[in-house]
Amino acid sequence: MTIRSVRQKVTASPAPNEAEAVAIQVPVGEPSASAAGGAALGDVAITVRDLSAWYGARRVIRDVSMDIRSNAITAIIGPSGSGKSTLLRCLDRMHEVVPGARSSGKVAYQGVDIYDPEIEPAAVRRTIGMVFQQPNPFPTMSIYDNVAAPARFNGLVKGKAAQDELVERCLRQAALWDEVRDKLGHGGTSLSGGQQQRLCIARTLALQPKVLLMDEPCSALDPVATLQIEQLMSNLKSEYTIVIVTHNMQQASRVSDITAFFNMGPDRAGYLVELDDTRTLFTNPKNQLTEDYVSGRFG
Amino acid sequence: MASDGAAVFAPTGGARRFRANLLVVLAVVALLLALIPLIAVFGYVFVNGIRSLLSLDFLTQDPPADLSATGGGVRNALVGTLEMTGLASVIAVPIGLGVAIFAIEVGGGLARAARFLIDVLSGLPSIVVGIFVYATVVVTQGHFSGFAGSLALAIVMLPVVTVSAEEILRLTPRPIAEGARALGLARWRAILSVFVPIGLSGIVTGVLLGVSRAIGETAPLIFTSLGNNFFTLDLNQPMQALPLLIYRNALNSAYASARDRAFGAALLLILIVFGFNLVGRWLTARRRLAGSRR
Repeated sequence: MTIRSVRQKVTASPAPNEAEAVAIQVPVGEPSASAAGGAALGDVAITVRDLSAWYGARRVIRDVSMDIRSNAITAIIGPSGSGKSTLLRCLDRMHEVVPGARSSGKVAYQGVDIYDPEIEPAAVRRTIGMVFQQPNPFPTMSIYDNVAAPARFNGLVKGKAAQDELVERCLRQAALWDEVRDKLGHGGTSLSGGQQQRLCIARTLALQPKVLLMDEPCSALDPVATLQIEQLMSNLKSEYTIVIVTHNMQQASRVSDITAFFNMGPDRAGYLVELDDTRTLFTNPKNQLTEDYVSGRFG
Repeated sequence: MASDGAAVFAPTGGARRFRANLLVVLAVVALLLALIPLIAVFGYVFVNGIRSLLSLDFLTQDPPADLSATGGGVRNALVGTLEMTGLASVIAVPIGLGVAIFAIEVGGGLARAARFLIDVLSGLPSIVVGIFVYATVVVTQGHFSGFAGSLALAIVMLPVVTVSAEEILRLTPRPIAEGARALGLARWRAILSVFVPIGLSGIVTGVLLGVSRAIGETAPLIFTSLGNNFFTLDLNQPMQALPLLIYRNALNSAYASARDRAFGAALLLILIVFGFNLVGRWLTARRRLAGSRR
């Protein structure tokens, strides 16, 4: 099976309804029917079942089951070592890139198992894009090429005019266009950290993904740049399913619709403690651990 | 109230300061010791060779049939050296890059075996390479040739190019490599369009090291290109090279003309290597993008 046909397979399901983003605005204090893995909100984009992951012999996450809603921002919070980033990396098959890393369990996007042997990992990663903690634009490429080249290499855009249009559209989506429109030929690494991170977001958007995974995207940025990225995420949520890993509980409560709290178990493997809509989780958590964590008693 | 400085910051002890200074002195001495032979060799060759090199005939004429005769130049050797080293690079650079990329991206037993063989190759005396090519190519073809010489030089270059390219590609920052993977780029595409450009200046330096190594080799050429007192561009003919010409003239250095010719050719060789390095650096520096902070 070719990469192309796999891509079609992954994206063949009907596009998620944009109105669903509204459905998850649950009022404060309303008792939610949700439990870990079964929130009664919006459409399910990604299904995770009994997911465990290892680095070598060390298990880093244990039996995680959760649903990730489309057109919403899901925040993953928890102390260091609770497997947040590993979980995120399992969602686009980036976990297995590290030598000795493996995982078990099921991850499905729109009902399609992304670990199906017939599915090309590269096709999964194009549909489920990832933005990293450290901005990583390609240093030898111009701002323009950082956005255009990955899309061109993946055969998603052909010709100068189409590329110009794509670059402008993605840079506008990433709220970077006005700052770089006059220096598209400059190096991607000539920008400030926050601009570089937005460039990386634009570069990912150019692949027309359906899901954006963001692994602590603001931890290397100053407060102003952080705010810009957060605003950007809110704007993108109508078109994309966003999952963000963050150390910062304020950030989770500011930007996310749903929050999943992870903790490190006695076996030092991370597990999902509680998942709920963000307001409920922060104001009325069901689990004592969650309460302790969000009120700053540990972590 | 101002505090006593020594009470706040404990003063560095005399013994510790002495040790620190001693290390600096030792490092400077080592540097000077390393520079002395370099400067001495270059200075000696320069002083003895510059007079030959100042005449245009030295570059545009072939040497006289009789080495003891004055006049003539080293045109045949210069052209032969450039041609054979050029062909050797065309052979060795793609293979060396290919092995380096294979070792990094595929890995496994085959890659380790290849890397081991390359390491063995780099330790091989270059005259053995010459004999190998003599036995396989020259004997088979029935005559010495510039092609056989190029092949021998390519074998000499190969380990230098491979090892340096592998080291450089290994230095690709992990966030960049992961970024390329996360964008769904094919492995070969990530290597060619992202990793190689990032390591380009290092890879070019490695290629130049290989060229510098090959261009000065005499031993691999003795049994392969043999040398030729006449000008030829034909790779099927025996071909002259600067090291061979230096060797032959230096053997006859009782004659002032042969001695001057050897020194002139030696200086020319040094300047060519120097020039290649300058051009290589200029080319890779020029590629940097506006505003890049690399």
